[in-house]
Amino acid sequence: MPADPSGAVFSALADPTRRRLLSAISAHPATATELAGELPISRQAVVKHLTTLAQAGLLVREREGRDVRYRVTPEPLSDAVTWLAEVGGEWDTRLTALRSSLSE
Amino acid sequence: MRDRIERRVELPTTLEIAWQALTDPDWLALWLADEITLDPRPGGEASFQIGDETRSGWVEEMSPPDEQGTGRLAFWWTLDDEPASRVELTVTAVADRCTLLRVVETRPLDVLDLVGTPLPGHGGTTFGPALIAA
Repeated sequence: MPADPSGAVFSALADPTRRRLLSAISAHPATATELAGELPISRQAVVKHLTTLAQAGLLVREREGRDVRYRVTPEPLSDAVTWLAEVGGEWDTRLTALRSSLSE
Repeated sequence: MRDRIERRVELPTTLEIAWQALTDPDWLALWLADEITLDPRPGGEASFQIGDETRSGWVEEMSPPDEQGTGRLAFWWTLDDEPASRVELTVTAVADRCTLLRVVETRPLDVLDLVGTPLPGHGGTTFGPALIAA
């Protein structure tokens, strides 16, 4: 990945919820309301996370009437970012399953 | 250059049981994939069924816990014609019933990286993952 002097990309991706959001948006561009319907968090929390991702340059906003649709930034970085979000999210899920398999 | 994911989790169990969770196909099926076959030796073939996808792969390293209290499993996996990525699972004893699991998945990004990755096995021939994936 290109140098990221601000560290904004990495701190944006450090949070599992933001990785899930990015993964969902990379599959299909979405509005905050749509995303809040898919995840167990409030629309307000979704907006906060989306703002962090947009500030890190990972998402772009597109106004659609009264709504804002988010999509993954269409440039070379996005392939690496998408991989980090998807594969990282997969490991989070697997490790949660591993921990619960140990407690059974 | 490589893309790299790293996760560390503490597992509330002994090193031996953690190693079993990483290497017993039935246990792996509880968390790593839905169905797994894995030939547990360097160069051994592996397949991972996840949902309706089947990833193929091979084992690079299978080192049971040693006297230093560390065990390591490393394998490569790939879906269809996507670039293969390398998964390294390392378990280290931290306390009596506490084992640290470190997961690193890396995806080599260019041809030089792939060619530079030696692989044991497969009839004594050394292949880079690019050749196997091709």
